[in-house]
Amino acid sequence: MVTTMAEILLVDDNPADLDLTIDALAQSPWRTHVSTVSDGAEAMAYLYREGKYSEAIRPHLVLLDLNLPRKDGRAVLADMKSKPALRRIPVVIFSTSQARKDIESSYELGANSYVSKPPTLSEWVSAVKVLNEFWIGCACLPREVES
Amino acid sequence: MNTTATRTARETEPSHALKPRLRVLLVEDDPADRDLILSELNKGEFEIHSDAAVTADEFRQRIRANCPDVVLADYNLGQWRGTDALEIMREEGLDIPLILVSGALGDVTAVECIKQGVTDYVLKDSLGRLPMALRGALKDKSAREERNRAEESLAQKVEELARSNADLEQFAYVASHDLQEPLRMVAAYTQLLAERYRGKLDEQADKYINYAVEGAVRMQSLIQDLLAFSRVGRQEIGVKSTDCNEIVERTIENLQGTILESGAVVTHGPLPRLMVRGLQLQQVFQHLIGNALKFRGPQTPAIQIAATKEGAEWTFTVADNGIGISPEYAESVFIIFNRLHTRTEYPGNGVGLAICKKIVQQHGGRIRALPRDGGGTIFNFTWPAEELAEGRGPAW
Repeated sequence: MVTTMAEILLVDDNPADLDLTIDALAQSPWRTHVSTVSDGAEAMAYLYREGKYSEAIRPHLVLLDLNLPRKDGRAVLADMKSKPALRRIPVVIFSTSQARKDIESSYELGANSYVSKPPTLSEWVSAVKVLNEFWIGCACLPREVES
Repeated sequence: MNTTATRTARETEPSHALKPRLRVLLVEDDPADRDLILSELNKGEFEIHSDAAVTADEFRQRIRANCPDVVLADYNLGQWRGTDALEIMREEGLDIPLILVSGALGDVTAVECIKQGVTDYVLKDSLGRLPMALRGALKDKSAREERNRAEESLAQKVEELARSNADLEQFAYVASHDLQEPLRMVAAYTQLLAERYRGKLDEQADKYINYAVEGAVRMQSLIQDLLAFSRVGRQEIGVKSTDCNEIVERTIENLQGTILESGAVVTHGPLPRLMVRGLQLQQVFQHLIGNALKFRGPQTPAIQIAATKEGAEWTFTVADNGIGISPEYAESVFIIFNRLHTRTEYPGNGVGLAICKKIVQQHGGRIRALPRDGGGTIFNFTWPAEELAEGRGPAW
């Protein structure tokens, strides 16, 4: 039996946060292949395999920051959840914001969960591990929609 | 004109040259009476500029056109009454003193007139009293204007203050949100350094990294607290009738760990049912009882909570036998980030009492720290007893 490694797309404009998450995923029980983009417009290009992303693998999970340059995380989420080809991909919002309105509006737009970035290293690592265990190790994920 | 001549004129008749102008609107249907009144007025200390009206319509028209300093009106004007002029002025948004100049008025009528807002009344057979009535009316008018100005400026200040408070809150909220991200980077990466490079550099390096970690973690907790402080009153949830006994018992449950560990005895008398917004009153008790446990003295902590009703408000007291607060700090303990001890003596950021004060003040109450006889502290705070409608409350 051939198993492909789970593909995760991280969308975050802060390289320090990306590194922390990559580091934490490397310590997680389920091995993953990680790609990163640093703004919302790039995220859409990646998902539609446009330009330099023509060889991109459709992710099994997207970790999406909210406050992003160019196309905002909220707009990326709204866009993804309104497109039949993308709406099945689980999107976890991973943002500094703990504001009630950000949480509510993310779920309203169809986010699959909302995790606020933890303040300390150990909490960060354990949050990412939990996400890895649940989404990759535990949840049954959808198949890619044929276009 | 020759200035010397003018000065001489003033010296001989000083009052004439210095007479202040006074615009008078006479409302009188009898021409003879009007002349009498006018001649009496001209004898006085004012340079009179008079205007006249007979009917109510005329009065309205004249008052709009000239806005006099004072209105002199007869009581009985045939079709209408002098007191009706008051209503007309109110309709026109004018606040001009009105003196009734009339024949004999019964006591009851006179009192009624004053009640309606007439400044004074002068009987036609004693017009000599007119100048005095005028002086009184003008004094009354300037007092009224002064009061209006003061009220306006007060309202303006209240509005400015509300705006600046809102700005400040918005600032604290935004700042604490935006500060969190870079700070988290510092905290996380110094922690990563500490974790991965401990013992690989030298002892000094380990110490420096620890200082950086501690500093970042403390800053994070300060910002969290600042955020909590700025959030007070931002929760847009309605008020609900709540049993304070339940609130206090829930608080005691929350603090069970410290209570068991210290052997503290926390008791409370019968407490009222009050209108409370969300968890705000519980937050107040949480901080006050929490402080009483934290700042305990050598003996077993004993904490008593009680409430008494005085007029329209309840006064709550939280009394402890702890280390006490010396009177000179009784006010500054409520200032945010103000602490009386080092962090090694007692942990904390100095935010709890600031939050308590903000919550209590937002409900129109006051909070104080008083020394307790025999050692310890009594915190007392007031809370309105009024029954607000459920789900509603002051908009803040």
